[in-house]
Amino acid sequence: MESFKSKSISAALATATCTLLGTSVAAPVLAQEEPAWVFNTALLYYGEADGRIQDGSVKGLVQRRFVDDRVLSIGFAVDALTGATPNGAIPFDGVQTFTAPSGESTYKTAPGDMPKDDSFQDVRASLTVNWSQPLGRLFTINAGLSGSSEFDYTHYGANLGFTRDLNKRNTTLSLGIAASRDAISPVGGVPIPFSSMLDRSKQREDGPRPPNRTGDQTKDVYDVVFGVTQVVNRNLLVQLDYSLSASSGYLNDPYKILSLVDAVTGDPLPRTPVPGKKGPVHQYRYENRPDSHVKQSFYGQAKLFMGGKVLDASYRFMTDDWGIHSHTVDTHFRVPFTNGNYLEPHFRYYTQTAADFYQISLVDGTQAFTFASADYRLGDFDAFTVGLKYGWKSRFGKEMSLRLEYYKQNGNAPAEQVIGNQAGRVLYPDLDAIIAQFSYQFEL
Amino acid sequence: MQSLLNSVTSLSSETAAGSARPDRKREIRKESGHYRGTFTAMGSPCELLVDTDDEDLAYRLLDIVAAEAWRVEDKFSRYLPDNIVAKINSAVGKSVTVDDETANLIDFAVMLYELSDKHFDISSGVLRKVWRFDGTDNVPLVSDVAAIMSTVGWHKVCWQSPEIVLAPGMQIDFGGIGKEYAVDKAAALLVEECSCGCLVNFGGDLVVVGESRSTTGWQVGIEQPDSRRAKAQKLIRLQQGALATSGDTRRYVINAGKRYSHILDALSGWPVENAPRSITVAASTCTQAGMLATLAMLRGANAESFLKEQGVQFWCLRYRQRSW
Amino acid sequence: MHSVKAGTIKMTHTRVSSFLVALLGAALVGCSSMGVEPWQRDVLAKEEMQLITDPVEASIDDHIYFSKEASSGGRGFGGGGCGCN
Repeated sequence: MESFKSKSISAALATATCTLLGTSVAAPVLAQEEPAWVFNTALLYYGEADGRIQDGSVKGLVQRRFVDDRVLSIGFAVDALTGATPNGAIPFDGVQTFTAPSGESTYKTAPGDMPKDDSFQDVRASLTVNWSQPLGRLFTINAGLSGSSEFDYTHYGANLGFTRDLNKRNTTLSLGIAASRDAISPVGGVPIPFSSMLDRSKQREDGPRPPNRTGDQTKDVYDVVFGVTQVVNRNLLVQLDYSLSASSGYLNDPYKILSLVDAVTGDPLPRTPVPGKKGPVHQYRYENRPDSHVKQSFYGQAKLFMGGKVLDASYRFMTDDWGIHSHTVDTHFRVPFTNGNYLEPHFRYYTQTAADFYQISLVDGTQAFTFASADYRLGDFDAFTVGLKYGWKSRFGKEMSLRLEYYKQNGNAPAEQVIGNQAGRVLYPDLDAIIAQFSYQFEL
Repeated sequence: MQSLLNSVTSLSSETAAGSARPDRKREIRKESGHYRGTFTAMGSPCELLVDTDDEDLAYRLLDIVAAEAWRVEDKFSRYLPDNIVAKINSAVGKSVTVDDETANLIDFAVMLYELSDKHFDISSGVLRKVWRFDGTDNVPLVSDVAAIMSTVGWHKVCWQSPEIVLAPGMQIDFGGIGKEYAVDKAAALLVEECSCGCLVNFGGDLVVVGESRSTTGWQVGIEQPDSRRAKAQKLIRLQQGALATSGDTRRYVINAGKRYSHILDALSGWPVENAPRSITVAASTCTQAGMLATLAMLRGANAESFLKEQGVQFWCLRYRQRSW
Repeated sequence: MHSVKAGTIKMTHTRVSSFLVALLGAALVGCSSMGVEPWQRDVLAKEEMQLITDPVEASIDDHIYFSKEASSGGRGFGGGGCGCN
């Protein structure tokens, strides 16, 4: 059959059908395949510069769709982490020695370097299960369980949600609640807040706890999310969300410390280890955060179809009762090629203010703090991410993509907290990280 | 909205007006959010889904759809002895005058004959005399096929609307068009009756009518023709338009290691080589969907590329595949 | 990043919060006339037009930023549950 005729067959058939049925041209068909199985997997590498954290992980999501819009999703992830992380102590011109979290060894920081704990190694596994189905004609309900486990941390959670369609499904309201219980059992035990970092000592399995440690702790988190999704026109979809999150219990980072410094020079106060033992040669205190944390977020997202290209832009404002507020702007722009492959640049900008109790160091005697933490993640910083993703379809219709991104954090120590000699040093551990991800998706 | 059976509120065993046939009963039952009416027509299980809470409306619409299905069947079936098709096929060289509807259908068939380069031909029905597909592995002799081909070929028909003359021994058969046509005709009647959302489904050839209340569309399952996964279905969400499926996986013959599908090429008299196991096409009307599926089938190995060229949505299953 | 006195921040938070809650409310009220007919949802049905195109990638990003920043979630739950460093 000649190909020049082929192209007009569909059109000729459409016209002939109109004549046969005595109708005018019918509206175009809208049919969408809903595969029974969707598999979504990814391999991830996350690596920070300066010998800091590296994470390799495998993640997957399996979705099974049953008749009547009932969907079962099972997600899993396995992460292997290693590398050093800033421990909260302030840099200093001399050598600093720290006792590792286990209490059984020490590590040193060279003069001038940002003190980092490199004894950190962990494997984390997580599992989530979710079920979603229509409830009557107007609502859908979804419920799920989640759990994760790593060497020193366990998490269990449950979530429940509802959605309701209005205005011919142009408006969707959604409400979700979640609750979780986390158990924290740090290596070496939970340090008593503001207690001193002690010398190294060999721990017997069933021996008495070191004087500066208490038993395992728990943390409870409750979340509520309320959202509105609105179809604006054929090409534009908008979502607005409000969420409230309340955490209570043990919210400290058990591995983070603060340096105790001289009120004038700002240098860490020296300390002598007990004779015969190895330990810190300066004074450090374990951090303390409030035992409750309430966060609110306002989130808006828009997806705009521009003749084949898709712009995804979102903004989030977060404010909490620790004095932190943040702005996040996240944009993706997908550019498809004629063969179905696509390129998607990504840009994200993030900025946050420091927590009320963020302290770069503690001054002995003159200040009395109820809460203090030098954790850089509670500090004042800007961050941006730039990335590029390339997606393609294999010969057999499997979708794959490769994403490469660069994440940078730039922080500042609050000027009023800088004392004496600290002024000349890098006080905030800026972050440089690479994100590389390979994704593989297929349907059955 | 293909949900589980909620409750059976009533069974209607009335026979259609004007017909005393026991196989012509209609049943209706209430399911979650809609009514499902079922009946048998054109040798297939037929159903009408109505998105309404009004039982009387559902009954009325079912009556309309079933009546139209049986009307089309009675008028164009080759099995009945006294309809227009029978008249044409028994005229033995004499001219027969047909009504407007039949004339339209014949014109449509002629257009398909030309669009398919003569591979689709409503005068090829007689080939079933030599191609039985009765579960045995019998393949006719080349001489038998050649002999019957003397009575096949639209060029041997004299069609001057509204007069048709068949050469002696010829037969016309609307089997390849009738079901999809009936679906669209029934849908047109429903549109006049009410604006509620309906799904008209005659044995897997179906069309959406009106607007459903929930507007997520209808969830349609295409049977996976694989005995190992009897319950498996490909799920398609249909908001608007029609789906039609061509191909019946159980009807084929394997002889001397070669598979002969049941799709016969009207030009050669032999089955199409390398025809797909099954093709489902999505289009605005059921007739278009069905004809595109048929034309694709006739292209054998090129079925998929033909449909891709036409820019239509389709699902094609070939033999020796584990999944679509 | 410039520092602002604590009292001013709190007032800004309250004002911003009330504005955003009002926006959400207005969005709800003003929504009834916007939208498309069911047969105009062809673009919206595309995979790349879903709010979350790739759920695995979204959870990866949520987890990375939850571990490195003080904010979390926004469009879903906190994404928490790890002793992240």
